[in-house]
Amino acid sequence: MLKKLLLLGVISGLLAGIASIVYQRVYAASLGEGFTETITVAKILGGSVAGTLIAALGYALLSKVLKSNTEPVFNLLFAILSFVTILAPFAAKLPMTIEAPELFPGLAIPMHLFPAMAWFTLKPLFAKSV
Amino acid sequence: MKKLTIFSVTLLLIAAVFAFTVVSPVWKIGDKYNISFSSNEAGGIFKTFKGSISFDEQNLATSNFNVTVDVASINTGNGLQNKHAKSDEWFDAAKYPVIHYVSRKIVKAGNAYQVTGDLEIHGVKKEFTIPFTFKRTGNTATFNGTFNVNRNDFHIGKPGGDVSDIIKVEVAVPVTK
Repeated sequence: MLKKLLLLGVISGLLAGIASIVYQRVYAASLGEGFTETITVAKILGGSVAGTLIAALGYALLSKVLKSNTEPVFNLLFAILSFVTILAPFAAKLPMTIEAPELFPGLAIPMHLFPAMAWFTLKPLFAKSV
Repeated sequence: MKKLTIFSVTLLLIAAVFAFTVVSPVWKIGDKYNISFSSNEAGGIFKTFKGSISFDEQNLATSNFNVTVDVASINTGNGLQNKHAKSDEWFDAAKYPVIHYVSRKIVKAGNAYQVTGDLEIHGVKKEFTIPFTFKRTGNTATFNGTFNVNRNDFHIGKPGGDVSDIIKVEVAVPVTK
């Protein structure tokens, strides 16, 4: 089961990363600032995959304790934790060379929600094996 | 004839006055200046700085500064902090859009200089002395200064709190003739 969970973690992380990169491009094109030097493609992909891998490990640990109740509890926890992390973009201190730091939360906050969205989207495909 | 003599003498006097009046060279402020501030909790830069600088190491009496900093150009690296800094609780950028400094006296202090003048921040004008160095290379030069400002003297923010009362300010202004 852990292998399947880790695979789900990697795939959903990559999907979230791709969604974030597309969103960054659209954001930069429409608002003129994509913070591409602060949030690089490597950081986006690395962060997204790391997030969903931690989620996979969390799911595995929870399933040992909660058995059949794992799914609803995990989903609730993942959603809450993702929501809590949106505080980080508001508190982020950017380099002084960045002209409009006030545009940063608008870019980074959706990126914090994409991993959970990707996980919830792909999880049904792994439902039988996980 | 008498009128002509008076006119000639007046003209000579005016010429003599201008001949002996020494004017310090005017320096043009370069683009790569840095006006930064820091404390325990807050730090940042002001992006817009302008004014006139006349300075001659050999003739400090005629040297003078008259510079302004655009308060709305503050950048702390954080959007919320920028908004907070410009609000009426701190700089009140809408009511007091500039920080203004006009020199009154410049003196030599060891290998450096000290300028004393009027510093106006947040609508409060106070006499303020700034130590600085001046490094010249041909037609270019750089003014550097580091000093502390007590924000309570200018009623910026509430005394105490998270942000320390003493704010360290660093100024580096490259200039060209």
